[in-house]
Parts: sequence; structure tokens; C-alpha cells
Amino acid sequence: MRFQVIIAGRGGEGIIFTTVVLTEGAFKAGHPVVSSETHGMAQRGGSVVSQVKIGPFLSPMVPPGEADLIIATSLEEAERVRVWLRKGGLMVVNSSEGLPGHVDARKIALELGHPRGANLVLLGYALARTGLFHPSPFREAIAERSPHRWTQKNLAAFERGFRLSP
Amino acid sequence: MAKVKKVLMGNEAIAWALLAQGATVLTSYPGTPASEILASARKFKAEKGLEVWAEWAVNEKVAFEIALTNSWIGGRSAVMMKQVGLNVALDPLMSAAYAGVKGGFVVVSADDPGPYSSQTEQDSRFLAMFAKIPVLDPATPQEAAEMVRRAFELSERHQIPVMLRPTSWICHGRQGFELEEIVQRRQPISLQKDPAHWAAPPRQRFRLHGELNRKVKEVARANTVELLLGDEGADLAVIASGVPFAHLHDVIKGMGIEDRVAVYKVDMPFPLPPGIESSLEGYAEVLVLEEPGAVVELQLRMPVRGRLDGTLPSEGEYTPELVADVLLRLLGSQRERPSRPKEGHRPRLCPGCPHRAAFWALKEALPGGIYPGDIGCYTLGMNLGVVDSFLCMGASVSQAEGFWIALRQAGLPIPPIGATIGDSTFLHAGVPALMDAVHNRASFVLMILDNGTTAMTGRQPTLATGEEGKRPVSIEEVVRGCGVEFIRVVDPYDVETTIQALKEADRFARGEGKGPAVVIARRPCPLLFREESRGVVRINDNCTGCMTCVHDLECPALEEGDGIPVVLEDLCRGCGVCVHVCPVGAIEVVQR
Repeated sequence: MRFQVIIAGRGGEGIIFTTVVLTEGAFKAGHPVVSSETHGMAQRGGSVVSQVKIGPFLSPMVPPGEADLIIATSLEEAERVRVWLRKGGLMVVNSSEGLPGHVDARKIALELGHPRGANLVLLGYALARTGLFHPSPFREAIAERSPHRWTQKNLAAFERGFRLSP
Repeated sequence: MAKVKKVLMGNEAIAWALLAQGATVLTSYPGTPASEILASARKFKAEKGLEVWAEWAVNEKVAFEIALTNSWIGGRSAVMMKQVGLNVALDPLMSAAYAGVKGGFVVVSADDPGPYSSQTEQDSRFLAMFAKIPVLDPATPQEAAEMVRRAFELSERHQIPVMLRPTSWICHGRQGFELEEIVQRRQPISLQKDPAHWAAPPRQRFRLHGELNRKVKEVARANTVELLLGDEGADLAVIASGVPFAHLHDVIKGMGIEDRVAVYKVDMPFPLPPGIESSLEGYAEVLVLEEPGAVVELQLRMPVRGRLDGTLPSEGEYTPELVADVLLRLLGSQRERPSRPKEGHRPRLCPGCPHRAAFWALKEALPGGIYPGDIGCYTLGMNLGVVDSFLCMGASVSQAEGFWIALRQAGLPIPPIGATIGDSTFLHAGVPALMDAVHNRASFVLMILDNGTTAMTGRQPTLATGEEGKRPVSIEEVVRGCGVEFIRVVDPYDVETTIQALKEADRFARGEGKGPAVVIARRPCPLLFREESRGVVRINDNCTGCMTCVHDLECPALEEGDGIPVVLEDLCRGCGVCVHVCPVGAIEVVQR
């Protein structure tokens, strides 16, 4: 498998957590994986991007035009990072506009009583849409990485997202 | 040896390997991208119940000297820092190279090509070369972990400090791989004084220099540069070191051009093996790929392509697409350069950040002033117009003094001088500068933004933090000990009191011969101490839609709405600083 992912959002939205879940889930599923994330000053509410490369890669950077999947927490961030998407790649965006690839993850997360779980709704939906991944290793990664009081809610958010996909 | 399979961040991988290799003293001062190395070592120490010293020091120089001492009596030791931190530790580094080591001593200095979170794009490998110590340059997190073992072995074999130089993409990259389990190790440690090395008088130091030169020669002879990828018979050879090797690997595999390039990987960019040029002679072109400086390129005594001849840019980081472009150009083909993503939102202070309140008060209390700033989250005070400069750690204090001296010398009017520095940065490098200012009776206001943590780098404890078993340093006592006669402690959320304290401080500082006045704005970082929300902000009918609150505070919880500002309730912490900013009294804090 050669599968490259961009995750885009703002500092403080849980982008790093989503990156960790995707990276560790893919590794648990038996794939080699490298990824990278934004730390330090840029994290303070600024735009942040994570890059995940599943397959025989060494560099953690995805070249523009080569991402198979982009997950963005807003339309604005999605537009900003669109140049990363390859032709025919999949774009999953948190949005209430109801267009293809749009998921109202924030609303779903609020319904689940877990406003911070929107990222995992998006991740679950995106992974299901690719048709390439079984959810269990990602569930395992979420269970291992969540603070105890959030484990069930995080799993529920991921599950809801995964089952949303047609 | 037991093995474990894990996904680790590069910094975690380095910490893991340092402990697995038996380091017993690990010290650091936080700085992006290196901060998580010691933080992870402390986490692993707690998880595995290890008996090791893994502590934050007041600055990199002190951290270096503490770790080196353990190595002098035979213990494996490591000191970790970011590249500009190495500048602070350069004095002991230079001398330690002469003095040598006994237990393996690894200096981890993380570079930040780009830069993403630094003042400079400097290359720590140059400082390794300058100090004449070997440096290892990993291409992936996995390699960084493996190189820790190599670094300790080299260090012990040649009794020399060894540098491990990761860059941001290693530090904050994650990779899944197998590594050796951490077990507590015991080393033969004895207090055996070695005056010939520890205390050589200046006239004997040339002998130590000679010893160092011999060690470096031996290390160079044992160094190898291997063909790792591609075809030896190709016309183009690439010598790659560090993360650019990883980019090159992915580019070559992705384009399927293994038969057109011969890739030689450099693990140790200094000292290079003697005669490396002879293995490269047969190639039509030789390209050197390394970051961020031209360390390998400058050592090669043959014509090569790289930064120096303009084949590659002399600043900014390398990306896979840049590597692909250069490679294709040298192979005689071209392609359209893909466009880069647009710039995103700039970073800003968090909702409820006490620094925002302190900066607002500073602006109100000392209007039209000059505002020397410093290194930390509060560098973002520049967005609010109250940080005019930030040079390096501690320079807010010395530059406040410097502005006072310079304007006075020039006979120019001196505006209010309001410097800001964080608690951790003050202890790191601000204290000597404050003593100097007191000594010279320099007139300025220094506001110490005391949020109880080193926030920007991931909320590490400071010397003033009351960690278990430690004696917290009192910032007030330190300030008083420097000889400062005006000290006020305020809660920055209490904006009016803070403004009054700053005004009083300015009056005091400007009194003839009084010297600097210090206001300590103390309130914990909301990221560290999750207090109950104090309520939520509401916009009432008085709002005229001037958007002063949105623009002057840059609070993530306030957005420009349709004619009036919108409060993002899940972000708002109810600090109420915006209440003071609104010119028409249209903002109030209500209970949730």
C-alpha cells in the first residue's frame, strides 16, 4: 500500500491526536508508517497540518498533488491545503453545507455530547470511505491513547463517523 | 535483549534509546523542536521505575555542565537542546571537547530548517565541526534511535563528546519500528580525579588540543559513506545526509529512477572519511543534499553541486518536491513545479491567556513606549503591538537597558521603556541582565509574565514551579537580590490594578538614579491549570460594531460577525479582559 494523508485544522482542535490515532492504527494493521505534526509556537491557534504516509516511505512530507486523502476541520482550511490532493483523491471536510465529502462532524459530536470528538467523526468517516482499512486497529489506538474519562466518547465518535459512510 | 514494536515520535525514540543505552544523567532546557526528548525520558522513567536523573535545568549551559560531570566519573550521560540553546552551551562544549569524557556523552542539538519555531536556521553540525567533535545526522526517527547507541559507543571508544543532530521532521515525525526494551543498568562509576584533563592550565591546553585532533582523525578513518540506493554506474551521484536523504529516497522510488542516480548516505557529516572524493571521481556530476548548512559540501575537495554554486537555495527547508526538481534538472528533464499550500492563520495567544491581559495593560499604562520582548508564547505580544523586538533568550532586559543607554547617549527623548519576559526565560538568561541594569541605574519597566510554566514548548516545569521534592525558586527574591527597589506582584486579569502598578513602576524608574522597576504579572497558564471557567462573555445592545475587541485583542473566542462581534462560547474562558477593551461598555461576563 502507498497511501498519503493530510490532516488540516487549527491549533487546539486535536489534530495531533487524530494524527497519532491514524499513525498507530495503520501500524497496528501491519503497514509501515511515517507521519509528522506541528509543534511549538505555530500550535497556538494558528493553522496546522499533519502528514501521514502509509507504505514504504521514509520522508514524513507529502508533496503537493500527491495526497490520497485530505481531512480538514473547516472549509477554509480545506481550501488552503487543496493543492496537496492528487487527481481523484478524497477530500473530507467538516461542514454543514451537505456537499459531497462534507460531514457535519461538529453537529454529530455535539449530539454525542462530545464537542471535542468532531475530529474522530471525520477520521472514522474518511477511513470507511477509502474502503482500505478495517476499523479495529484504529479503535485499539483510540482506546490506548485516550484519557480514561474520554475513551468511550472518543470511540463512539469514531464509530459514528465510520458508519456514516455509504 | 527484549524487543518492543512501537510507534514513537522522533523525540520519544531518542529518549527511549538514551535510557535503553543506560544513560543515568539526562538534562535539558526546553526548546522546540527538542523539548519532548527530556519530557519523554521523564515519562519513561516514571513508567518503568528507573533510577536515573532526568531533570530540566535553568539553561542549556548548566544542563550541559551537569551531564558532562556524570560522564567524567564514568556514567553515560546526555544533554538535549534546540540549536540556539547550543549557542548558550557553546562555552562548555568547546572546552569539553578538549577535556574529553569517560562515560559516553551525547549532546543532542535539534535544528529547525524552515525555520518553524526558531530565530535562526543555524546548523548545529557546524558547531560540532567548530568544537571538533563527531556529529551523527539521522534521516528518520528509527535511525535517530539507532544512532544513540552508535553515539555512546563512539564517545566511549574515543573519549570524546558526540553530537546527535536531528531536525524538526525527525523530532516531530512519528514512525513505527522495533526497538530494544529499556532496563535499568548499573555502570562502574568511581570518583577518580583526572587533573590532566579536568584542570589543565592554559599552557598545557595545546596538548589536549593535540589529543583531540588525534581522536578526530581516528573517528574520521572509521567513518564510512555507503552507496545506499540507486545504481553505482549512474552518471549522477548524490551525497545525502539527514532528512534530505529521506526525501530523496521517496522521490527516487516514487519516480522509479533508481537506475539513473547513485545515492551515497552520510551518517556522520563530520569528520568525513579521508579520501571520500576518490569514490566519487567517476561521476559526471555530484550533488550534495544536506540541511540547513553546507557542512559536507564545504569539506569536499572536489567540484560539486549544492548550496554553494546556487544549485540549491541557501535558505529555507528542503521539501520532497524541491529535491525532485533539482534531481530532474540535473538529469536533463523538467516538470511543472506544483504550487505550495497558502499561508494559514498566524498563531495567537490562547483564549483566557493571562499574557493578553498583561499586554493590554502595558499598552494602556505606557502608551507610545518602546517594548523589548523575549522568547516564549508572549513573543506573540507583537500581534498586539507591544513587542518591538525579540533577539534571543533574556535580551528583553539587556535591550531595555541598551535602549535607555543608546537614547541617553544620543541626547534623544526617552519614551517609556516597557520590557516583557516570561518566568522561565527570566531565570534562564534575564537575571544577569537585570543585575547589570540595576548596577547602571537603567530606567525601564520590566514586566515578568509569570504563568508558572514554560508554556510554549509544552508546559515544562520551571525552577520557580513547586515540583515534588524540589525547592521552588522565588522570582521576587531573585529580583530583590539583583537590587531592584520597586517590585509589585499583580494578577493580570485585574487589568485596572495592573495598569496602575505599571504606571507607578514607570514613575519610579524615571526618578533620577532609581534604576529598573519590576512588575510580576502572575497567573497560571490556562493550558496547565484547568480552572473552572469563570463564566462567558456576552455582547449587549450597546455594541456599535467597531470590532475593537476583535482586532485589538486577537482572542480566538471573539470573531467578527455580521455587524457585531460573535463570542465562540466553547472557547471563551470568561477572563473578561475584553470588557476593559470595549470603548462603549458593550461586553459583560455572565455566569454560564
